[in-house]
Amino acid sequence: MRHFWLGKLDSHALPHAWFTIGGTAVFLLAALITVIIITRMKRWKWLWNEWLTSVDPKKIGIMYFIVGGVMLLRGGLDALMMWLQQALGASNMPGIGGEAAHGYLSSEHFQQIFTAHGNIMVFFVAMAFIFGLINYIVPLQIGARDLASPFMNTLGFWLYVGGVLMVNMFFMFGGEYAATGWLAIAPLSGKVFSPGVGVDYWIWSLQISGVGSTLGALNFILTILKMRAPGMTLSKMPLFTWGSLFSMLMAVTVFPLLTATLFLSFFDRYLGTHFFTMTAGGDPMMYTNLIWMWGHPEVYILMLPAFGVFSEVVATFSRKPIASYKSNVIGMAGVSFMALSVWLHHFFTMGASTDVNAFFGLMTLIVAIPTAVLFFTWIATMRGGMIRFETPMLWFLGFVAIFAVGGLSGLILAFPPADFQLHNSLFLVAHFHFNVIGGVLFGIFCGINYWFSKFTGFKLNQRIGRQAFWCWILGFCLSFIPMLILGLMGATRRLDHYDASTGWQPFFVLMLIGGIVIAIGTVLQLVQIFASVIQRHRLYDATGDPWDGRSLEWGTTSPPPSYNFTVIPTVTSFDTFWEAKKNHALPGPAYEDIVIPKNTAAGIYIALFAFLLGFGFVWEMNWLAVVSIIGIIVVLITRGYNEHSEYILTAAEVEKNEEKRAELHKKRLEQHKAALHEEEMGLVDFMRYMLKLGMNYIRQKRRKRT
Amino acid sequence: MNEQALTHHERLEAAANDRVKFGFWIYLMTDLLMFSVLFACYAVLHGNHVGSPAGRELFSLPLALKETLILLTSSFTCGIAMVAARRGNKNMTLFWFAITFILGLLFLKFELTEFRQFILEGHTLKTNAFLSSFFVLVGTHGLHITSGLLWMGTTMIFVMKRGLNSALVRKLSLLSLFWHFLDIVWIFIFTIVYLGAFA
Amino acid sequence: MKHGQTKSYVIGFILSLIFTLVPYYLVQHKVAVGRNLLVAILGLAVVQLIIQVVYFLHLGRKPTPRWEIGFLLSTISIILVVTAGSLVIIHNLHSNMSIPDQEKTLVNSEAIYQVNGKLTGACQMIRANHQVIIKNNTASPRYVSADKCDTLTFVNQDSQRHTITFGTHTTHSSYAGVSEFELRQGKPETITLSETGGFNYHDHQRPSIAGSFLVLYNGQGQ
Repeated sequence: MRHFWLGKLDSHALPHAWFTIGGTAVFLLAALITVIIITRMKRWKWLWNEWLTSVDPKKIGIMYFIVGGVMLLRGGLDALMMWLQQALGASNMPGIGGEAAHGYLSSEHFQQIFTAHGNIMVFFVAMAFIFGLINYIVPLQIGARDLASPFMNTLGFWLYVGGVLMVNMFFMFGGEYAATGWLAIAPLSGKVFSPGVGVDYWIWSLQISGVGSTLGALNFILTILKMRAPGMTLSKMPLFTWGSLFSMLMAVTVFPLLTATLFLSFFDRYLGTHFFTMTAGGDPMMYTNLIWMWGHPEVYILMLPAFGVFSEVVATFSRKPIASYKSNVIGMAGVSFMALSVWLHHFFTMGASTDVNAFFGLMTLIVAIPTAVLFFTWIATMRGGMIRFETPMLWFLGFVAIFAVGGLSGLILAFPPADFQLHNSLFLVAHFHFNVIGGVLFGIFCGINYWFSKFTGFKLNQRIGRQAFWCWILGFCLSFIPMLILGLMGATRRLDHYDASTGWQPFFVLMLIGGIVIAIGTVLQLVQIFASVIQRHRLYDATGDPWDGRSLEWGTTSPPPSYNFTVIPTVTSFDTFWEAKKNHALPGPAYEDIVIPKNTAAGIYIALFAFLLGFGFVWEMNWLAVVSIIGIIVVLITRGYNEHSEYILTAAEVEKNEEKRAELHKKRLEQHKAALHEEEMGLVDFMRYMLKLGMNYIRQKRRKRT
Repeated sequence: MNEQALTHHERLEAAANDRVKFGFWIYLMTDLLMFSVLFACYAVLHGNHVGSPAGRELFSLPLALKETLILLTSSFTCGIAMVAARRGNKNMTLFWFAITFILGLLFLKFELTEFRQFILEGHTLKTNAFLSSFFVLVGTHGLHITSGLLWMGTTMIFVMKRGLNSALVRKLSLLSLFWHFLDIVWIFIFTIVYLGAFA
Repeated sequence: MKHGQTKSYVIGFILSLIFTLVPYYLVQHKVAVGRNLLVAILGLAVVQLIIQVVYFLHLGRKPTPRWEIGFLLSTISIILVVTAGSLVIIHNLHSNMSIPDQEKTLVNSEAIYQVNGKLTGACQMIRANHQVIIKNNTASPRYVSADKCDTLTFVNQDSQRHTITFGTHTTHSSYAGVSEFELRQGKPETITLSETGGFNYHDHQRPSIAGSFLVLYNGQGQ
């Protein structure tokens, strides 16, 4: 009976190690504080109606940023823990805490950390930010009011949140995450090596968020292909939209492969099938083969929207249209076309014959060509331009430097003979981080710095932004250049301790220092946001076009109304907005009826059931899984046959709303003028401000008491 | 119809209809890709029966043919039902969908009978890689049929209640796409799994 | 128009029936065998796919189905990549490397040396290095004793090439997923001793060059 209700769950599963207790405490504390704050501010209804159930892609985009940002800190903490362990992990160092011979983490725990780090950074940080950016910017860039299916969009977001919860659930129940590396290669992920629930958590967190990503991608494709403003042919589309389109096309192609593979892996563990087992005819190589069919395109899925961001930024900050728009689009098309033809380079050493290895090695080398084309278009854009070194441009330049090294190290790995030497070394790990941090993460930071005023109505602080940028660059070089060298010295990846005689320790210490500098950079980015909020009047984006931008999103106010445009603009050329601006021919106000989708909580309910479904399968509570499936079906039916999912905002109402917004704008403009004399806050100013704020608070409390 | 004669709202609705259909089409493509993994696994693993009987000794071709013909007929009746639905003929629509529904159930019944017989003989999905990939491939298709039946049933109930309004006709047309698509997947299961076992 | 739709379904139904029964007949009556039959029935299935796409899904008849067709065609090509790619690759991998060797290599290249306290067989770090020098057609030392996860370097100081093969001359075997490698002058080869036990190696061309090494598990993690 007990087994029926609780499955494998028992008191042993509750937190008992320092990190599970700590993690649980942090989560519960954070939840408690949030609840208290919202309750005291009486904002529950507002939160539910304005945000959680919202179908506005702009709000969903912001929510992606928030959850993704929290996960970035969580994944970053994992990275710091690993760097610390490796710096302490030499054999001549005394073990700390007694549980490990070297360093302060046990090997098992260290492995769980790098697995979680990889999953969180790829799935719950990079994907989240990319989806957030696309959600917010793409409809604005193509002159659409909304996404094709607003409901699918919230559903995708909430499934992503379900995945986030699932990946962190092990703190509270089970106490172990997968220790198998971020792709959980069979047979390590099978029942023989991993009998616990860690791999199940891995499977279900990826499964739930993966389905969300598929839905999101499908929705973006529909939006981009079918909802562009009149006159905007494909060849007049902004480059970020192009990058997103290619990325999402790849996503709908490969995420189904991931879903199917994860199901098979789950069947192996849950039903006892023999797809990837070592016995009864199963074939672990099939898993490796299938997972990399998804895994390799996945990094391109992350990369292409970032390429798009860079194309926008470099054109804007060089005050020139992108050099050779066509080459740029063809370059991106080339990269995505190649995505599904290189996956074998992840297992060159597994016995493929020379011809096969040579083919995939060559294919991998060919990817460099379209990428180089992209690089050349960016460099050519800068040439002869009037470059402004604002933060977005800095992130772009940082990307150029770092990604080039990442790409070149990738070329080395693309040669099968070299790969035989390097494939399980830290060289590979460094290569990957050069590309993913230098490319994807810098692209995300670049995009956020660029579009921040669109999101909030005020620009980001540039002074602290620059400092944050330099910390990141410096920290990155300090931690990942030694990693490249260590790889060449023979240090294997996933290393938690090593012999002191190898002489590796100084490099690992250097990496730790670099990690700390990166952490400082991250803190500075948070400070940058807070300082900008404090000085929001000073940084107010009065025109909606603070950078003198070129594409349609700069034609709306910052932030835009929920319907994006009062009247959908008509596009005549690639640079319509820019030309209209320069010729002072921007359209005047006009109003029309607008169909607005109603808010819905169905996405939340489905994601909740999906989470419970996963949780039920992790702990073998079959009744919970069955109930969840029924729940999902019921919600889908009630939602699907609801014929009142939208309402019409009449032209008169739109006009009234616009008048209200204009008044608010007037007020803000006055505050902005009054604050213009202020200097942009630096780090010291910020600290002084916070100190003053704290003192005032204490003084007030004291006054109240007396 | 004349493009100019349409009102703003009608044009918006037509565009929305077009999007929904196209979106569903992309969904079907993703589903096909999921099946492609299962087919790939079957193709790679079908020889690994480790001492247990191979497909040739297990499968019954006449049964497979029977299932195929039933599903094909249901795909046809589903199409006929859609013709009636587009004409706005509620009773004929319901009649033909009811036949499709019954044929779908019949298909499922035969499939489950086959599964049951295998399991009773001791050939379960735990036996070996070949049977794992067989059960999962065919079972996934069966699961799709089941969800299709569920969808068909609910839509029919709503048609009875609300009549054939435009939203429901749109749903029915998506459903028919889904049903045809399942038949196409089955063609390949029939060819690769059943016929292929005897080749 | 409306009548035409019914007609299209009827035509599709009849054609599909034919293209179901023909392959069934071919298989039932063994008109062909083996690969030929497989190719034939797959071809017929593809024809039926096209029939159903045209007559049931009505693709290519509506005014603007270009995107739909584009997606269908690209999906089909990706399905081909996935299925044919898997078949070719897996077959290729298995024909070049035995499955046990593959597992050892796979586990080793994941560099995860233990899960749940259970050793996987992978070396998580490299320890001491041992050397075997091949000169004047003899290997010295002939016998090496090492701990697990040490490395063993073969150095060729002869002018000619050697093909180092694991196992004895009569019974070839493999070590940690490798069965043999070329050893040229001035190009030492290093292997990681991830497998414990006693092993032999020899030069396949000159069996007089032979030696052995013993790899012991030192018991202290790795």
